Amino acid sequence: MASWDDDFNTFMGADARPSESFIDRARAAPDDDDDVDMGDDPGVPRHAGPAHVAVLGQDVAEETAFQQLIRHWMNERHSPDILPGQEMLLGRILDHVRKQSNDVELLRADPDSSEEEHFRIMLVQTEIERVKFVVRSYIRTRLHKIEKYARHISSTPDVHGRLSKAELEHANRYSRLVEYHFKQSVLQSLPEQQRSLEENIVFMPPMVPSPDMQRPVIARALVDCPPMRLPDGTATEMKKGEISMTPYHVVEHLLLRGEVELV
Amino acid sequence: MALPPSLRTSITPPELELVASEQLVEIIPLVSMERTAFISGAYGPLRPPTKCKVPLWMASNLKLKKKCHLVPPPWLEVDFLQEKLTQETTSPSFSEMPFRFAEIAKILLDVASDDLPNHERIRTLLKDIREARQAKSREGLSKLDHNELLLHNLCAMEINEIRPFFVRGMGVLTQLTRESANNNNNNNMDQTL
Repeated sequence: MASWDDDFNTFMGADARPSESFIDRARAAPDDDDDVDMGDDPGVPRHAGPAHVAVLGQDVAEETAFQQLIRHWMNERHSPDILPGQEMLLGRILDHVRKQSNDVELLRADPDSSEEEHFRIMLVQTEIERVKFVVRSYIRTRLHKIEKYARHISSTPDVHGRLSKAELEHANRYSRLVEYHFKQSVLQSLPEQQRSLEENIVFMPPMVPSPDMQRPVIARALVDCPPMRLPDGTATEMKKGEISMTPYHVVEHLLLRGEVELV
Repeated sequence: MALPPSLRTSITPPELELVASEQLVEIIPLVSMERTAFISGAYGPLRPPTKCKVPLWMASNLKLKKKCHLVPPPWLEVDFLQEKLTQETTSPSFSEMPFRFAEIAKILLDVASDDLPNHERIRTLLKDIREARQAKSREGLSKLDHNELLLHNLCAMEINEIRPFFVRGMGVLTQLTRESANNNNNNNMDQTL
């Protein structure tokens, strides 16, 4: 019978040596996540990890991979524009979910597992569901923005770097599809000069919807931030832990550098 | 498969609860369990009656199965909350509370009210504090402009509550400022002409 500890060793990654005790490896586990260089997250300074110290004794010591994902998910949900995708982070978390699910499957198939093990299976599965929910919601949030701004995205090369390959492909295909549909159903029966999908009429919103950079967002400083320029031209600074509501374009660069989070 | 329309404008309270459930709380386990690796880290070992720190989601899960007692956080007790309420009602600014206190208090009161001494009183105090703070955040609307609004010491749930209205208000103010700036420019141009 496979024991839990053996199975869980596999979660610790290949670098865990077999000579170490399970507990040592388990202790080392959360650190692993933080040691990995976040190639997908170049903006986040390395010291920004433990900056998440909360008030009144609720300590969040180091940001684990899942907490990072939650932060990116919240940012994505609140920002009007699409943010750089966290492919590496997602990949790591999904690998972890897969490993946990495989081991749960193995242990469930084992008729000899004790009640304590059933209990651990239940907890592990609960967590898997929580993680999956956040992953799905994160991807669906991005998908919503991609479809909403598909034509803006496919015509603005600056944005392409923020999307994964699959996302970019979807944006292009989706915008082509919508354009084709518009042409087929209505535009081709209109006079030539009214067929364009990119007319700019005064006093009318543009025909290509683009993210509203003026939309106010609520940002919380994770570190002491450099000065930012407000719309009226004055400069202001946010100290760590301060919360401020301001148009998105004011805090955009701080958000991309991971110095603030949207709440 | 894109995000459903009901979730597009803002985050919902149950989602905030999910986020808050990642925070660690202390429990007194009633069952033992070896140290186990989870995605968010390794927790345990549970050895009754030694206290142990686990995430809130695990604590409430165990509590619902009557396999642990929750140790309430230091801020969730009558004296502390009473003092906070006095601060809230006497000072015009918001007092400092844990950022996700509303969510955590709700979960703890829902699943573990028997572990909280005086939980009825705690509930009333939390409600009073909430109302005092809510009144202040409504007053804060008068300070809204197109630039910036400092939300000092506001908590996740309160921010989420005022968000739709404040965001819209600020959006309108931004539009008005932009338009008046345009008008001024136009007027200047008229004068130069």
